[in-house]
Amino acid sequence: MKMAPSAKKHAEQSWVIPGGFTVLPLKYSSDSVSQHSLYVKEHRVRAEKTTSRPLDRTLFVLNIPPYCSEEIIKDLFSTFGKVQSVELREKPGTTESSDLKLSKYFRPALTKGFSVGYVVFTSPSGVKAAKSHPRDIPLIVSTENHPVKVGIQKWIQQYRQSLINPEKLQAAVDTFMQGYDQKKEEESERQKEAEEDDEGWVKVTRGVRGSKARPHSEMANQRALQKEDKKRKRKELLNFYTWQHRQTQREHIAELRRKFEEDKQRIAVLRAQRKFRPY
Amino acid sequence: MKRKAKKLPASKSAEEVENSDPSSHGEEEEDEEELPTPSKATKTEDHASEESVPRPQKLSKGELYKPPTAEELHQLKEAESLFHCNLLKMQMEELLKEVVLSERRKRLVDSFIMKIKALLQNVPQTREVELNDHSWISEGVKVPFLWVPKTTKGKFHMAPPASVSLVGSYPLGTCTKPSVSVDLSVIMPPAVLHPKDVLNQRYPRKRALYLAGLAQHLRSSPEIGTLRYSCLHGNHLLPELTLFHPKRNNVRTHWYTDAVGPPTPHYNSSLLGDVLPKAHLQFLSAISAQCSAFGEAVALLKVWLRQRQLDRGAGCFSGFVGSMLVAYLLSSHRVSNSMTAYQLLRNSLHFLASTDLTKNGITLAKNPDSKAPTLHEFHSTFQVVFVDPSGYLNLCADMTANTYKQVQNEASLSLQFWDDPTVDGFQALLMTPKPLIRTCDHVFQLHGLVKLQASCKKLNLLGELMDHGGDYVLTALPFILSLLQLGLGKRIHLLTHSLTADPEWSVDSEPPKHKDQTPLSFGLLLNPEHSSSVLERGPPADSPEAAEFRQLWGPRAELRRFQDGAITEAVLWGGSSACQKRLVPREIITHLLQLHADIPESCVRYVGGLFDDVIKIGTGEEESLKVVQSFDDLSRKLWQLEDLPLSITSVQAAHPALRYTQVFPPVPQKLDYSFFEQDKQSRALVPHKDKPCPVFIPPLQVICHMEGSGKWPHERLAIRHVKAAFHIRLGELLRKQHMYTCSTTPTHVDVYKDGLIFRIQVAYHREPQVLRESIGPDGLLRYRDNEEAQALEMETLHRPYLTSTLHGLQQQHPSFGVTCRLAKRWLAAQLFSDEVDEDAADLLVASLFLQPVPFTPPSSPQVGFLRFLHLLSSFDWKNCPLVVNFNSQLTASDYVEIKNNFIASRESLPVMFIATPKDKKVSIWTKQGPSVQMLQRLIVVASESLRVLEAQLLDPSQNQDVRVALRPPLDMYDVLIHLNPKYVPLLDQAVDPPHITFSRGTVPGSAPSTRGLLPVIDFNPVSLYLAELRDAFGHLALFFCDPYGGTVIAVLWKPQAFKAQPFKTSQMSARCVEVSGDEAHSLPNVEAILEDFRIMGDALVRKVEPRMENWVV
Repeated sequence: MKMAPSAKKHAEQSWVIPGGFTVLPLKYSSDSVSQHSLYVKEHRVRAEKTTSRPLDRTLFVLNIPPYCSEEIIKDLFSTFGKVQSVELREKPGTTESSDLKLSKYFRPALTKGFSVGYVVFTSPSGVKAAKSHPRDIPLIVSTENHPVKVGIQKWIQQYRQSLINPEKLQAAVDTFMQGYDQKKEEESERQKEAEEDDEGWVKVTRGVRGSKARPHSEMANQRALQKEDKKRKRKELLNFYTWQHRQTQREHIAELRRKFEEDKQRIAVLRAQRKFRPY
Repeated sequence: MKRKAKKLPASKSAEEVENSDPSSHGEEEEDEEELPTPSKATKTEDHASEESVPRPQKLSKGELYKPPTAEELHQLKEAESLFHCNLLKMQMEELLKEVVLSERRKRLVDSFIMKIKALLQNVPQTREVELNDHSWISEGVKVPFLWVPKTTKGKFHMAPPASVSLVGSYPLGTCTKPSVSVDLSVIMPPAVLHPKDVLNQRYPRKRALYLAGLAQHLRSSPEIGTLRYSCLHGNHLLPELTLFHPKRNNVRTHWYTDAVGPPTPHYNSSLLGDVLPKAHLQFLSAISAQCSAFGEAVALLKVWLRQRQLDRGAGCFSGFVGSMLVAYLLSSHRVSNSMTAYQLLRNSLHFLASTDLTKNGITLAKNPDSKAPTLHEFHSTFQVVFVDPSGYLNLCADMTANTYKQVQNEASLSLQFWDDPTVDGFQALLMTPKPLIRTCDHVFQLHGLVKLQASCKKLNLLGELMDHGGDYVLTALPFILSLLQLGLGKRIHLLTHSLTADPEWSVDSEPPKHKDQTPLSFGLLLNPEHSSSVLERGPPADSPEAAEFRQLWGPRAELRRFQDGAITEAVLWGGSSACQKRLVPREIITHLLQLHADIPESCVRYVGGLFDDVIKIGTGEEESLKVVQSFDDLSRKLWQLEDLPLSITSVQAAHPALRYTQVFPPVPQKLDYSFFEQDKQSRALVPHKDKPCPVFIPPLQVICHMEGSGKWPHERLAIRHVKAAFHIRLGELLRKQHMYTCSTTPTHVDVYKDGLIFRIQVAYHREPQVLRESIGPDGLLRYRDNEEAQALEMETLHRPYLTSTLHGLQQQHPSFGVTCRLAKRWLAAQLFSDEVDEDAADLLVASLFLQPVPFTPPSSPQVGFLRFLHLLSSFDWKNCPLVVNFNSQLTASDYVEIKNNFIASRESLPVMFIATPKDKKVSIWTKQGPSVQMLQRLIVVASESLRVLEAQLLDPSQNQDVRVALRPPLDMYDVLIHLNPKYVPLLDQAVDPPHITFSRGTVPGSAPSTRGLLPVIDFNPVSLYLAELRDAFGHLALFFCDPYGGTVIAVLWKPQAFKAQPFKTSQMSARCVEVSGDEAHSLPNVEAILEDFRIMGDALVRKVEPRMENWVV
């Protein structure tokens, strides 16, 4: 693999490319002939609100090969300092908090391609150590002590994991539905309270309150407009006045002409493509 | 005076064809001269049209509403009333422009004719020699005649012709491209002939010698390119009796008083044909002068005939007969002189469809003299009767009744779709070729035609043989046809045969022998209701017809007692599976030919089920049926389940195996538990890592809609959880109430039943709607379409609907399912199965059955498959939507709407656009693919496969291996990943299955219908590997693999893959960085990627083979 010389002074140690990323070479196993490069940088996003990625202790990693799971990355980066957590994602960005709360059965499946990762160390020193890792010592993914399962073995393992105990699944569903029902109940309570006015009077309306009381929708608006249009059309008289009759005839001829012209042009298109040769 | 005609296909006898410029093969013209066609201009035009298609423009308002002139009104009215779409009128006009000879070309032809005439007039005189003495003819020229027997008396010498004149279609102006031929009639000088020359074939021999003399002379001229002999309608004349006088007046005497031997009508009419061309030309010119559209109508009719392969060969319905037919309609006032070409064509077809010339012949003779033969007499000697203006010549003398039936059938078929606004009539009528192999359901060939000589003996046809001048092929044909027609009976709609092509040979070679003719092909249009019945029930044993029946079937006829108590004659044919039964007609044909015509089975090459082996059809159809039956049972049990919190509103199948179109339908297998590891907790089998990949058991999707109720939550996550709860419950109930082994996941429940896995998915009809909901900034509830909702609708709505619709189609057309399987096998083998998915492929095949014009719906998988390839290779995807009109739900106005929508938003629509009644605008099934490039490749591969297959099916000399069309060329791919067959579970389904087999954990015996450990479901390392590769490297490369046992994954780098890109955090997958100055660029890390191919497919991948000749980094 070719490596362009770095402009920085401490190039003998680590390789930092324009953009501030440090290049970490990575090999699948010690006897691999080629290597991938991880691109790492301290995580620094101003708008980051989640507490799961503290700014000073989080390392942002690009180009993680498909055979590296979160555990393996945790293992690999432990050489730089104690790792608190690893989060792998398809693309850089924030996570939806709702997905995190779900049980494992309902979480969206992870992609099987290359991913980006957020490695959180217990102390900021881990980030620094990673950034100054020398460029000529590659990280090794699969070692004799920690063999990584790939190919057939991995798929068999996956298959085994896909077998689900229905009782555990039922339990997960039950927990979620309890939470959901509780949330709904709270919402309807809140609504009820809102409807009670200062003196405790409740406004009685048609229909069920709570879940059914939805915001007015776009579709309903359109439907109402269409209905009115139709009504207006029904009331109109056709071919009643002479001018109307003449108009209809004019329209008819115009229609014929339009079709004629369309056909002519269609033929022209076909002729341009020589579609009239029978054989 | 005696005359001698030298001409090209429009009339008779030997002829010469010259090619002045053999290199310019722009359009194939076996022509007096081949003119240098403007081929260069054509090519450049093609290019231009590819790039810029003119877009239709709108008329301005002023133009639309200006007051119409009377003429314009008339024109518009005419267009509106005469044609269901004036498009058709204009299309026909354009077509005529294409086929009619241009003025420039006419001038060239004319000048050439002048030269030829001059040359012919100057043939040098030679001395008189004996007829047998050919020494005066130079070595390079052979006499175009089979000189048997050798000795004939008579003298001959060359002399300039009495006259040379133009006859046939060229002077009439009905000559059409591409087979432009100019007929010259050369009248031999009286001095050469002798009054007694009519005897013993001296006349035809002299004619042949004279021709050879002419050929020799023409060869000496530098103006002339190639000279070839041909003979029209395969007429070879052998020495025969008859006192035929070439003078017209003497013909009738012979007709009646042929005292010397049996009547020889065909010989007579062939000689008569020599006499009459000039008279015919005069007659047709007179007609043409009265009707201005005559020429165009004949030209259209000729195109129509040619597309149906009816216009050439022995006993054809030639352009000449066609023009005579139009002349007949005009002269008998069935059509008026003022009609347009369009109307004349239509009326001609109508006349053909409604008139049976085999029973009620027609004549052009106005006032036949009293001695002319009557129509009745014509009928007694000819099968098809159409008498010329002289009253003596039958224009259809050589035509078999079957050929005429074919003409009739084609005519009535054409009329059926002519007025159908949902059909592109022009395409079907005049633009689509109908070769025999793609038209007929089954085809068979007789080769080794020498055997027909014996047939003539066996059939006692010596008299007829004499009449045909010894051409035993033409002699035996009508009798063989009527024999087969009788034997096949109601199993077929139509029996057709190919017309032996007019032989054509170079002047310096011997004329071809009868036995050298191309093999005779026969086509069957099957009647699917009866064609595969194994029983031929005959008359009761004691009835007089019984003897006839026994005579026909010979030793195969036997007495049988039936369930209704009747004892009748019957024949029982073999065949247990559907695919064997489809070949019953073959058994009948070989049996009858052997029995009655002495044609051994080895001479019959039957093409009807050659593809069966490719998808091992032997078991396929029966297995499909079992799968469907098992599903029906499951469906019943689901409906009857008790204790479900909500009731089921529908149970729908959503898998190809449940509509008979799965290429290899799943076969239940008994499993050897010791082969697997076991997961104790869930009582399931798990693949063993040290053993070959276990048998692949596909899950069959079943969609189970639950009733709507207030209990359903109105939130996407909650709905998913409720559905999971339903899956758990369904699994539990099926286990308790029906003892089925089940496996539950949040998204589905798998049920192990009869050795099959049904994957039941619960659906809630409002869920897609919920997925689309979102609340806008203004507080209004909005509905926004998204991929998630579409995918869900596809799975729970569209696919089940499609499945049930196609299931219905299979009930109407028994060969639909097998055709789909063949089509998909081909797609998969050619590595297209990820581009055209199962549903789209089934739709394509369905369109062949729902809108077969100009064909009839396929009644055999073979013809269905060939038409599928033809559809792929010929359909104009760029300009037309393919409409699949299920149950005729779409009306003409729907078609217009679809077309307009399509044109309006062509660019944004899928390249392969398929509309159905439920989907008029979007083409949901082809949204994901194919891409433009892949479609282009698909078209190329399809047309190549079609070409190879059709050539192979029709050529007995070729080794029959239909698999050649299923072996994809791999040399264009950049990397080949070779897989270890041990881990390819569907290895047995490969196009060429390898010799090694692996134990896949099955043992002989039947699978348990209930209980049992849960088998390994849907575990296919190849597809898992492919999915991972596409996830990881989909942005850089395309991956292709035959899902049915393919052991190679072909990789193609994307065109832009190796372009350097600026460093971007979102696009760094599998890339390495290069720094130049202050900028970082990234490139794919090819070396590492190639190694990843191996790492990710550990154990599965045997070898990664980069083909460096195709690419460089």
